[in-house]
Amino acid sequence: MPIVTRPDFLPGLPKWSRKTLFALALFGICFAFAFPVLWLILTSLRPESGVYYVHRGTEFTLASFAEVLTDDRIVSAFLNSALISTLATIFSLLVTVSSGYMLSRFTGPASRIWFGTIYVFRCIPYISWVLPLYFVTQSWGLYDTYTGLLLPHVAVHICFFSWLMKGFFDGIDPSMEYAAMIDGCTRWGAFIRVAIPSALPAISALAVLCWLFTWNEFLFALILTGNRVPMITVVMAQFVTEMGLRWNLMAATAVMALVPAFLVALFGQKYVIRGLRI
Amino acid sequence: MAAISLSKLNKHYGSLFHAVKDVDLEIADKEFVALVGPSGCGKSTTLRMIAGLEDISSGDIRIGNRVVNDLPPRDRDIAMVFQNYALYQHMSVYDNLAFGLRNKKTSEAEIKAAIDRAAGMLGLHELLARKPKQLSGGQQQRVALGRCIVRNPEVFLFDEPLSNLDAKLRAQMRIEIKRLHAAIPTTSVFVTHDQVEAMTLGDRVVIMRDGRVQQVGTPLQVYGKPANKFVAGFIGAPAMNFVSVTVRSDGGATTVEADGLKLTVGGADARALAAYNGKPVIMGARPEHLALGEGAPGASFDAHVEVVEQLGSEILLETRVGSHGITVARVPAETVIARGDQVRVSAQPGRLHFFDPETELPITTS
Repeated sequence: MPIVTRPDFLPGLPKWSRKTLFALALFGICFAFAFPVLWLILTSLRPESGVYYVHRGTEFTLASFAEVLTDDRIVSAFLNSALISTLATIFSLLVTVSSGYMLSRFTGPASRIWFGTIYVFRCIPYISWVLPLYFVTQSWGLYDTYTGLLLPHVAVHICFFSWLMKGFFDGIDPSMEYAAMIDGCTRWGAFIRVAIPSALPAISALAVLCWLFTWNEFLFALILTGNRVPMITVVMAQFVTEMGLRWNLMAATAVMALVPAFLVALFGQKYVIRGLRI
Repeated sequence: MAAISLSKLNKHYGSLFHAVKDVDLEIADKEFVALVGPSGCGKSTTLRMIAGLEDISSGDIRIGNRVVNDLPPRDRDIAMVFQNYALYQHMSVYDNLAFGLRNKKTSEAEIKAAIDRAAGMLGLHELLARKPKQLSGGQQQRVALGRCIVRNPEVFLFDEPLSNLDAKLRAQMRIEIKRLHAAIPTTSVFVTHDQVEAMTLGDRVVIMRDGRVQQVGTPLQVYGKPANKFVAGFIGAPAMNFVSVTVRSDGGATTVEADGLKLTVGGADARALAAYNGKPVIMGARPEHLALGEGAPGASFDAHVEVVEQLGSEILLETRVGSHGITVARVPAETVIARGDQVRVSAQPGRLHFFDPETELPITTS
């Protein structure tokens, strides 16, 4: 006997048609998400003359990919994005994990002030930071450097993901850490040897989210970098030139930019789902 | 091994909540003391202060001859079992057991010997390679016990360790803990909200309410001579019946009367109640000290059966006497009785308790 019976979807119809309708609805939703990506991939495979007639014509080529991959600027943008995403993830995790732990376990004034700070920064629209950050990086000589991009990213990660990490730690029973403290650990020892290992799925999930955030980020990259540290999201947008739009090249770059994000999501989703469920 | 001494122990949370109030308690070496009380009575907070997991607002805690007020938990030489087992989820059972000893830099050979001994005692040998998640609740709690034993500490602390287990397993683990304490006598403090656990495990029982100790005594003392009405109602299952009665003492006989009830009291009770002539008092009668049928003269009353609970070994009756509900226990299981029946109930002479309605203290001659 099922304890909970779910009401049937359109109960008046016969079973086979209900199943068909359900499948169609599911397909429709998936299609709405997948279609732009499929169109993008298709565009990237057409010659330049065919980009406005993607759905017609039978001519396919990898020439756009070849052209993009031989462009030093694009290749270095890929490397930059990968490097900055990885560094930002590492640095922000160092802070986020311990700050989330503090928010979850401690109730002193320090914890409250930190909580308030994060709250306030989260409430400020993201875009309103960009201009001040531009002036700050200019005057500190950090404009268009790794550090100049890395620091704002780490700050954003800390603000956005400390709360998530607090939620993860809230879900982990603190008595394990108490047991460790009785078993001979200091408070820090209990955090490092017991709390962190039990939060590893959550930390992995967070790492995936951090990495994708920086990889996909456009606004900071556009305003805070110039020619020395190009990021892939910005380079992609620069195919809009006075000579016209290079749709096929833009599509090829976009497809390649999708790949790492896709891989991270594919292999990381196990952790993301497990982590978000803690 | 060590005695524990709490003196004038207090815990404030902010300025609003006074969780533990002036607790004084002496626990002898190797003694097993059970702290019991309803939730929020301060028993767990007291235990956590002994463990060092909670700061002390004022007062002293001594373990052995050391004042441990400011020592961190790791330096107090204690071990603790938690309600939700608190095993290290990412380590095997063996590593869980070894964790504390490794922190003390014990050699691996010695650790292995200690774990072997503990595993033998608790039947953990087959589980050593597994992770806590692969164990049942009862097995996890046995591992948690093992983790305490291997450390060979001066004090065992138990924070409601059996609450998450089902009734049958709880009874088994109770016996296991009792056996363990007999095998390795160690000073133990056991916190529970279940008075049966407290009575069966404790050499002495400490009953707490609203942060204060109500009574400290052996199980027999707290059952037979409760220090106040709260203790009387808390200890014993089913709980003691309380009826508000008026004392009438004219010449020779002393009676207590309530709606539908008139009982003659004699002996020490009559002498104690003499001062309350014409005044209301609270009478307490344990369900197991009431029986069906006519008893001694002036010790019986009529009752109306409202609920019959057949337990197989006995029957519990919920009855109505005037405007009062009275529970009767130990009715023989074979008795033919049904809802709506009128029965005669008699009280065992000398087993009634009387409490002052103001102070809730027992009324005795002394």
